[in-house]
Amino acid sequence: MSLNLLKWWQTIKVSWVKYTAYRLNFFLQIVGPVLVFFFIKYNLWSAIYGENPEQMIQGYNLKSMVTYHIWSMIVTMIGQGHASYNMSEDIRMGRISSYLIYPFNFWEFHTASFLSFQFLQLFISGVTIAILVAFNFVELPSTYFLFHGVLYTLFISLFWFTLQYMAGLLSFWLEETWILRVLMGIVTGFLSGYLFPLDLYPDWLVSLLQYTPFPYLTYYPIKIFMGQPSPLWIGYAMIGLWIIIGATINHLIWKKGIKLYTAAGM
Amino acid sequence: MKQSPLRHYWQVYKKMASTSASVEMSFRISFCLLVLMDLFFFLSILASVSFIYDHVQTIGPWNRDQLLFFSAFMLTIDNIHMGLVSTNFWMLSFAIRTGELDFTLIKPTHSLFTVFFRQIRPSSFVTLPVAWGILIHYGIKVQLSALDWCLIPLFLILGLTLLCLIEFIVSTSMFWLTEGTGINFLRMQMQQLSRWPNFVYSSLSRKVLTTALPVLLIGSAPVHFIYDKNYWPLIVAMLVAIAACYSVLLFVWNIGLKNYDSASS
Repeated sequence: MSLNLLKWWQTIKVSWVKYTAYRLNFFLQIVGPVLVFFFIKYNLWSAIYGENPEQMIQGYNLKSMVTYHIWSMIVTMIGQGHASYNMSEDIRMGRISSYLIYPFNFWEFHTASFLSFQFLQLFISGVTIAILVAFNFVELPSTYFLFHGVLYTLFISLFWFTLQYMAGLLSFWLEETWILRVLMGIVTGFLSGYLFPLDLYPDWLVSLLQYTPFPYLTYYPIKIFMGQPSPLWIGYAMIGLWIIIGATINHLIWKKGIKLYTAAGM
Repeated sequence: MKQSPLRHYWQVYKKMASTSASVEMSFRISFCLLVLMDLFFFLSILASVSFIYDHVQTIGPWNRDQLLFFSAFMLTIDNIHMGLVSTNFWMLSFAIRTGELDFTLIKPTHSLFTVFFRQIRPSSFVTLPVAWGILIHYGIKVQLSALDWCLIPLFLILGLTLLCLIEFIVSTSMFWLTEGTGINFLRMQMQQLSRWPNFVYSSLSRKVLTTALPVLLIGSAPVHFIYDKNYWPLIVAMLVAIAACYSVLLFVWNIGLKNYDSASS
């Protein structure tokens, strides 16, 4: 048991070193896009509210709209930052052969790598929040909401990892899996409330989205961070259900895919 | 008999385009997913703008149709850009790191041409009629004049040229970085910035993004001019930016090549 934990810990450390080896690249690839998108949204909403920042648009004045987008940025950093870029390459290039004989399998390696990424993202998000609070851009919610917001967002990151892992595993059949990731990003960004609050969407679409995991990926955790009470169990239940479904599908894909694996280059 | 350089480059381009198209078309599922990705992207951009306008009358000086026409204009530029050049940026970093760029440098064409126009993405040509359809639809809605319709293809070319030149310059920084993937993400963020009209940005940001990094001229300059011909200085600024970016590109590209250490040699 302790030996296994040691393997996890060592892999987390190795992944941390890999992520931070090219710091500028990491910043441009993971942190930069989120910051730029926030910059655009901040400017856009400032232009929309114009001279009248107190006017209400679907219950949001400029301040609460900016707060929404700040928490959207944090939720995206922690919950949806991870992308298993290397996984598909590992499969396509025949590099998973080593995992088949190691006493630490493919799933364990990539999950440990994901955990390492999450530690890094939590640190970056913490620094970002500290800066934004220090400059009065946003107010921290109560400890209760902050704790539940972070916990729930970490739970979302598990769902996101399950999806990313699924996209990676499809490399057994597909030449390019980045398309799936981008597609997931576009659909999720649009339907989850990442672009702007779901309160601005047409009612029929919002009603429809309640039956999907999308609102629970961004809109719901933002509301927790904004201190607006929502029944927590619904989000956990919905995302938990989708994690179970995703993990089961991943297991089946792996079992079927590994039979097709040709260990290219051996 | 020596053929003209233009004809030579055109023949080389035809060969490069046909070989890369053959490769791309052989992965049919990826091809279909790319088409789907483009369509979802169009939908998300247009729906986002439309949903915001369900709650406000204007953003800056523009109403819903005017902003949607701007978005359609940018989507068309993006679509042509995706089809003609976007794939090549992702290959440059790898070529520099592994020394594969050597094979490009020994070819009898300018290295910039071979590096940035080697690959095309045929799936974007499938969605191009959709992008044009959207552009025409909103062009009719904002009641463009005959002159405006004639100017649109020219402005699309100018916008695309400026976008490409800025991205080529940014990509040149890959010569100094071991891992250049992040530069591609930076490049995509510049596209994001250009997808909103210039009046959305605060005064300082607007100045920086119009002069130092002129991404706001790509779409805002032509569309402002189309709506109001008093905005002609923006078109002049766009032409100046294209000329300046071209000079900067040649300069930094040559420095980059001198810095290239040809990893495989």
